[in-house]
Amino acid sequence: MTPWRRTQRRAAPVFLAPALGLLAVFVVWPMLRAAWWSCTNADLLAPGDARWTGLANYADLVGDPRFRRAFANTAWFALLVVPVQTALALLLALWVNRPEPAWRWLRTVFFVPTVVAMPVLAVLWTLIYQPAQGGVMGPANAVLHALGLPPQAWLHDPRLALPAIAAMSVWQGVGLQMMVFLAGLQTVPRELLEAARIDGAGAWARLRHVILPALRNTLGFVVTVTTILSFRLFVQPYLMTHGGPGDRTLSVVQKIYETTFLSQDLGQACAGAFLFLAVVVLLTLGQRRLMREERA
Amino acid sequence: MTVGFFNWRVAGAVFVGWSVVVAGAAPVRVVRVWCHQGQEAENAAMREIAGAFDAAHASEGLRVELTFFPDFQYTEKTAIAAAAHDLPDAFDIDGPLVARYVEAGLLAPLDDVFSRAELEDFLPTIRAQGTVDGKLYALGSFDSALVLYFDREKFARAGVTPPPAGQAWTWDEFLAACGKLQAAGIEPVALHLNETADEWFTYAFSPVVWSGGGALASADGRSVRDVLASGANVRSLRAWQQVFARKFAETDPVDPDPFDAGTVAMDWSGHWLAPAHVKKFGAQLGAMPLPRLGPKPVAACGSWCWGLSRQARDSVAAAEWLRWVTDAKHGVEPMARANGAVPARRSAFAAFPEYTRAPFNLFREQLEQFARPRPRTPFYATLTQQFAAALRDIAHGADVAPRLHAAEDEVQRVVDRRFARFATAMPPDSKEAKP
Repeated sequence: MTPWRRTQRRAAPVFLAPALGLLAVFVVWPMLRAAWWSCTNADLLAPGDARWTGLANYADLVGDPRFRRAFANTAWFALLVVPVQTALALLLALWVNRPEPAWRWLRTVFFVPTVVAMPVLAVLWTLIYQPAQGGVMGPANAVLHALGLPPQAWLHDPRLALPAIAAMSVWQGVGLQMMVFLAGLQTVPRELLEAARIDGAGAWARLRHVILPALRNTLGFVVTVTTILSFRLFVQPYLMTHGGPGDRTLSVVQKIYETTFLSQDLGQACAGAFLFLAVVVLLTLGQRRLMREERA
Repeated sequence: MTVGFFNWRVAGAVFVGWSVVVAGAAPVRVVRVWCHQGQEAENAAMREIAGAFDAAHASEGLRVELTFFPDFQYTEKTAIAAAAHDLPDAFDIDGPLVARYVEAGLLAPLDDVFSRAELEDFLPTIRAQGTVDGKLYALGSFDSALVLYFDREKFARAGVTPPPAGQAWTWDEFLAACGKLQAAGIEPVALHLNETADEWFTYAFSPVVWSGGGALASADGRSVRDVLASGANVRSLRAWQQVFARKFAETDPVDPDPFDAGTVAMDWSGHWLAPAHVKKFGAQLGAMPLPRLGPKPVAACGSWCWGLSRQARDSVAAAEWLRWVTDAKHGVEPMARANGAVPARRSAFAAFPEYTRAPFNLFREQLEQFARPRPRTPFYATLTQQFAAALRDIAHGADVAPRLHAAEDEVQRVVDRRFARFATAMPPDSKEAKP
């Protein structure tokens, strides 16, 4: 081993120490603490009195119909959002991927909702979804009215509430994924596209055989990130429907929040958080596996 | 190696001498106080009350260290402090949450802080709100009131006669009045369903349940089974649902105060809107107790109040602060003037001449005669959230009985877990034995 290499090896821990130390204090230690609490009857107001209860919290959660409802809602939300948002983001990216400066404005317009604070958007969309009452109605119902369709109680109809929130979430998040696709589109080799065009490939053939294969990694990234983000659903339903009607928009994160701060059942809340983490990790790994197999 | 200059004996002597000097000069005793952040006028009043406390206790070397926390962080902040055994000596709590703090063993009983005569001076609702299992743990300097305001001019236009002063309509009379107003082309009543806080729903509409002979939780606060979804509650809330089914009130209002805007004839609302309503309507403004579903009206009450920490370092000083902040002259008067709430002490009303006139006289009358605190139970936070969710759905047309049963099941699940947990973790007697 050269002396230079030896110094490197000796210096490495010194340079790593601050980062590792911070990670240990702010990530690893709280996680371990939460893992311990998840196996106790810890009370938020008196965690010092916690007693070991084994896996009882996990068993209770799996049997808790409201927690299962929250998981089902969140999964349904992800199923609604991920394909639509990914497809829409790709379409928008293909549309606005032009060099003329005028298009930059359009890109900005689509990106704006991702920068605005979610609570503001939640209030805005609550107004958009206003039901018809006393001759007044929100814009969503005004559109239906113009089409000759009956008005809907968007956020109070058990069948419509979650899809309505999903639509709002797609609108809010699509700009970010569009930007990721735009970045990906810059890596599609121009020569390849031109060659395809000379060979007589139409727009669809170019998309199917040139652009999409080149975007595969970007696509994988977008799908994974959108899935994780949609599983973290909380603010929109919490502010727009409070999880209602009848728990139809209750998300896992809201359930964990309520367990922590309303029932103040710290042990169960930690168990819920770990169960949630496990599901999201498994989903992400599964997705990665799927993408890799496609590549082979 | 030699230890040259440090001599333990000298150091000890110096320390003892210093202690004697400090003790002789009366050490400064600091009461640590936490308070939720309210309106700016309230915060200013609280600072003034604390300043006056310091001035009055300067000779005893007693002073208060006041810290404000934003409303939404307050529970988290207290929880973390409780876990770290670092609660302040005194802190304010929203009334219905007192029982939870008592259950966690964080509050000291107050029975010895006030004499019987002094306690008699507090409104009965304020005493009831702070009493858990027969012991007093919290007292406030103000209370709240909820009434049905009405516009006499709109009533006259629709041919509606209000009940005699201080009396409530029956629910049928209320619905009939709504019908008359609607027929006259006037929007009947505002119920403020756009309030984002769950607490509005429980605060404003549990009187409907109570006057109908029902309750939200069992008398001992340890169960909701067969109480929350009782036949009486289903009947009462079906009657309540009529208001929305017949379009007497909006289920999704946008305007926070349609009454002052002149668009509705009645306003189901609290003392906090009284000044604005009086200013806008003058003698045209009327107020009556909430309509009743049974033989007697029931009113809502309760607000933020003060408790003392069991872990207080100087419990005598902490009690001194509590006496000050709930004192009619030093605490109640400046605070009630700042936030417009109802003074919690009978002797304080002399300073508020408006309480001899409507609508303010009704506030006091209700609190003295027929107001009822929200359930004092450790799982109140869950209960209020579930009840509010059920009310939102019922207003939007949900079937009352199954919706109430769903709420009851969910609350009971939390209750069962809680009491199972505490049965193994901390039997009640061992908790009482704690200092």
